[in-house]
Amino acid sequence: MTSQQHPPAAATGPATSIAPTAHVVCPVDELPPGERKIVTVAGRSIGVFNVGGRYYALRNACPHRVAPLCEGRVRGLVVSNGPYDVRVEREGEIVACPWHGWEFDITTGRSHFNPHRLRVKTYEVTVGMATACTDDGDPAVETFTVTVKRNTVLLHVTG
Amino acid sequence: MTAITTPTPTPANSVLATRPKFEIVDSDVHHGFRQNDDLYPYLSSVYRERLAEYGGVSAVIGTGHGLYNGGAFGRRVDLLDPKDPGDRGTAAMNRDTLRHNLLDTSGVDLAILTGAQLYGASTMTDQTYANALCRAFNDYTLEHWVGADSRFRAAINVCSQDPQGAAAEIDRIGDNPAVVGIVMPCGSIRPYGHRSYHAIYEACARHDLAVCLHFGGEGSGINPAPTAAGYPSYYIEARQARPSYYQVHLSSFVFEGVFEKFPTLRVVMLESGFGWVAPYVWRMDTDWKGLRHQTPWVKRLPSEYVWEHVRFCCQPVDEPATGDVRGDTRRLIDWMHGERTLLFSSDYPHWDWEDPQQTLTSLPTALRRRIMGGNARETYRIG
Repeated sequence: MTSQQHPPAAATGPATSIAPTAHVVCPVDELPPGERKIVTVAGRSIGVFNVGGRYYALRNACPHRVAPLCEGRVRGLVVSNGPYDVRVEREGEIVACPWHGWEFDITTGRSHFNPHRLRVKTYEVTVGMATACTDDGDPAVETFTVTVKRNTVLLHVTG
Repeated sequence: MTAITTPTPTPANSVLATRPKFEIVDSDVHHGFRQNDDLYPYLSSVYRERLAEYGGVSAVIGTGHGLYNGGAFGRRVDLLDPKDPGDRGTAAMNRDTLRHNLLDTSGVDLAILTGAQLYGASTMTDQTYANALCRAFNDYTLEHWVGADSRFRAAINVCSQDPQGAAAEIDRIGDNPAVVGIVMPCGSIRPYGHRSYHAIYEACARHDLAVCLHFGGEGSGINPAPTAAGYPSYYIEARQARPSYYQVHLSSFVFEGVFEKFPTLRVVMLESGFGWVAPYVWRMDTDWKGLRHQTPWVKRLPSEYVWEHVRFCCQPVDEPATGDVRGDTRRLIDWMHGERTLLFSSDYPHWDWEDPQQTLTSLPTALRRRIMGGNARETYRIG
């Protein structure tokens, strides 16, 4: 851990003691598969993604240079079986930062090139804020839980 | 049918005799001077000396862009043969003289012979002739050098512009236990990671040989200009472009996936210096984080491939302006994992050589032992 990481999103009180609040994002039909919506909740800009009918939310700030990560291109993961072989897997599950192209897995918030050490911070509905993996000094961004109730997309944010 | 008539032969001189006479002006008559001395009275002493050592405009054709060198003919002035006024510095490259100067006197225990005079073969249009020259030099090296002293090993010269021919030469003598690598000049048609060269690396992998690159041949023969910004004017200026040659080849090896394809391959950058290495590799890592999807076969950070597969030579050592070799130079070495990646090289007999007794002497003994010998033994697989 270094002093360069972001301050915790929930600035008041221990995170575990604060229940996340559900915020209305939009009606379900306004966020079809492959689309995203960027909203501001509790002072934070958050990208809400529909990936094949499942919803994910990431803090709209890249841990690299705090660029608006969620405005980046959404695409698949380009993989290879060896030199000159190019294939695409997991179409639509990767967002690449619009500034320097760092790729993040929308479904987990983990960076592709350093998945075990660099990821976005995750908030669970029931357990509150999880600990960010920042043991190499890279700052983290947050992910959030998204649910659907009565045809409305709900974003769960603590604090 | 008409009768065939035979023309009556006419003597040529009678034809000339019938032509009208008028003045003839020849617009292209090639004259010349018999030897360089003829021009000396018209040159300053500076250019008299340069013409004597490196030649004039004819050398421009021969070396691509007419660059001269330092020292005497590029070599140490103190090694000129005092008994031979015609010595152009090659006396120091004679086997017995070299053995005395470097192995017996300067303390080198094992010398990897890399040649120099055949680097230009890779710039020739006639690949068959170029291959024959390399083959001859390699056989000469095996017979007269490594055959004469067990302290010699050879990195054989191959023609990089003919990968199939180079592979054939590697297969021909690559199993000779004295052959530990191949040498290719940095001047090339395209960067060396390109798939057109892979036959060379397949052959090196077959015989477990290191691939050594040494600057040379840039801007010569079949090769493009020595830099993308054109031709440097001066020798000292051209020297500053050398790291760029190694850099282009280095990133080519990494991003073409050569080390993914040939996981046992080692590449040695001869006469590379090392001050540039760490920042350049950092740059590759930085860029890869955002661009890796364009070359997805590069599965690890570029630095991981470099530190595992590529070795650099200490000469010429960039001397820090701070004078703080113990601190600043040490940092450069640590940043590039020099305990694994840095090899001692003297560049004997050139004027800018490194005396093994005075190279990086302020380093801790364990680190210096790796750099002076251990790393090379591992890289060249010398048991």
